[in-house]
Amino acid sequence: MNPLIIPLSHVLMLAALLFTAGLLGLLIRRNVIFILMSLEVMLNAAALAFVGASAHWGQTDGQIILLLILTIAAAEVAVGLGLVLQIQRRFKTLDLDVVSRMRG
Amino acid sequence: MTGTDFLALSPIIALAVGASVLLLQIAFLRNLKLTTGITVVTFLACLFFLFYITKLNHQTTPLLLVDPLSTFFSIVFVLCACITTFISYEYLKNRPGRNDEFFLLVVLATMGSIVLTYATHLASFILGLELMGIALYGLIAYPHQDDMSLEAAIKYLVLSGASSAALLFGFALLYAITGSLFFPDLLSGLASPEVAVGPQSPFWARQLILLGSALILAGISFKLSLAPFHMWTPDVYEGSPAPITGFLATISKGAVFAATLRLYVIGEFHNFPTIVTGLTILSIISILVGNLLALRQENIKRLLAYSSIAHFGYLLIALIAAGTLTPNGISAIEPSAYYLAGYIFTTLIATGLIAAISSSNNEENANLSDIAGLFWKNPLLALCLSVSLLSLAGIPLTAGFIGKLYIFQMGVEAGAWLLLSILIIGSGIGIYYYLRLIFSMTTDPSSSRSTLAPALPVTVSLITLTILVLYLGIYPQPLMEYLLWNT
Repeated sequence: MNPLIIPLSHVLMLAALLFTAGLLGLLIRRNVIFILMSLEVMLNAAALAFVGASAHWGQTDGQIILLLILTIAAAEVAVGLGLVLQIQRRFKTLDLDVVSRMRG
Repeated sequence: MTGTDFLALSPIIALAVGASVLLLQIAFLRNLKLTTGITVVTFLACLFFLFYITKLNHQTTPLLLVDPLSTFFSIVFVLCACITTFISYEYLKNRPGRNDEFFLLVVLATMGSIVLTYATHLASFILGLELMGIALYGLIAYPHQDDMSLEAAIKYLVLSGASSAALLFGFALLYAITGSLFFPDLLSGLASPEVAVGPQSPFWARQLILLGSALILAGISFKLSLAPFHMWTPDVYEGSPAPITGFLATISKGAVFAATLRLYVIGEFHNFPTIVTGLTILSIISILVGNLLALRQENIKRLLAYSSIAHFGYLLIALIAAGTLTPNGISAIEPSAYYLAGYIFTTLIATGLIAAISSSNNEENANLSDIAGLFWKNPLLALCLSVSLLSLAGIPLTAGFIGKLYIFQMGVEAGAWLLLSILIIGSGIGIYYYLRLIFSMTTDPSSSRSTLAPALPVTVSLITLTILVLYLGIYPQPLMEYLLWNT
């Protein structure tokens, strides 16, 4: 039943750690590029959990989701980097606190 | 793939073909009028196919389930997208630079919303969500000479990306326990704990399912901007170009809610007391925060943002009450579909009018002072906005009233007294700031220098929407029966 050498719980724990690290980076960092990187870490943590779970079940579904997540993350970061260029041009900085003028 | 499969997918195929044609047209010949024309034809073709398949109930591959309810939602979304196109043309025609790609992104975002509405599998769910999201980042940042829209776009991108990651991680945890990504089988592990052979014991399986569901709930709450995940909403609405504020408030949120409704009902999430409690807390906070923060807003876009937070709080009541009324939670569908349709038409009138004001004045923002004296300057459109605001406040003879009545009745049947008292308090506060807008339309026109003279298609579509809102409020029977029949 279990084709994994590494137990699923370890994979999930690693993924949870990575997800938390990404989330903390997203909350603490103020530079837009680092925020985009943290976002990437969060998405990849989810992808890792999918791959581990799909190996545990002996299915390919989770691995297909990995491919989808990679595509989505690439598209998201492509748009994000386009915005980064515009922000650098307009504000001459990448600090999100400087960019942020509206207060929700 | 059989013929029925192709028929079921025809609205999505129509939009995909339209997007490809637009891409080619923009590559060879830039002409804003032609682009608008092709976009409108694409949406009309899509609407034609949608009306053709209203009775169809067909599972097309495990990914998409085409049923009358989601076809109804799709018709509402495509209709709104078509009206958004008219409004956007008005908005774009006087802007410098090349604006043709705007419509391409609108078509793609609409396609994402339809895929999301039909989704029954994580793969289609996430594809629809991101197709809509990524197109919207581009649309929000479209006037890139404007500082506010850049700020809004980067905020939306970061927070929407983070919420997608939370959503995916939650689904990954559920997948680790139950081994399925198909919504109906998603939680089969909980119904029989021995199926859950995930990490060791059933206890841990249960904890992981709860954690996963909580992450999914958090991700969805971000997309629906339920408090306390609402911080981005006013800023993004304020910074976006006015037609896109309308798109965000109506189609984008509506599609996420339609998908959530399906996930909630066929995934049988209502059997989890913890999730229902979580939804109750989200609903209470959203209604209170949305209504209280809307009180002091001078900017109409921000006001509508807070009001939309409150409205999605009301909508959640239908989901919460559903589990106690019927064991399969199906009773949530009819009231929330009615409420959502009414809300979408109503909000589109208000945002469309703001877009018309900001394109007449070439300004991004519409403040309370910009609509001062509207009743004397343009009585017809002022009447439309009044109907829309009265419907948002839930005054009788409008769609908003029937929707609220529906939800109220459901809450009474389920005995959710706490939620109902919050609903009443929220609606009471709401009347104040909606009437304040109507009041400012009747003030002396000389204090405001703004003009309002939209083109014929915009006026006609706003009036059509107003008539639709009144019709749904005066004669709700046909739509109610349609929804009842098909659930």
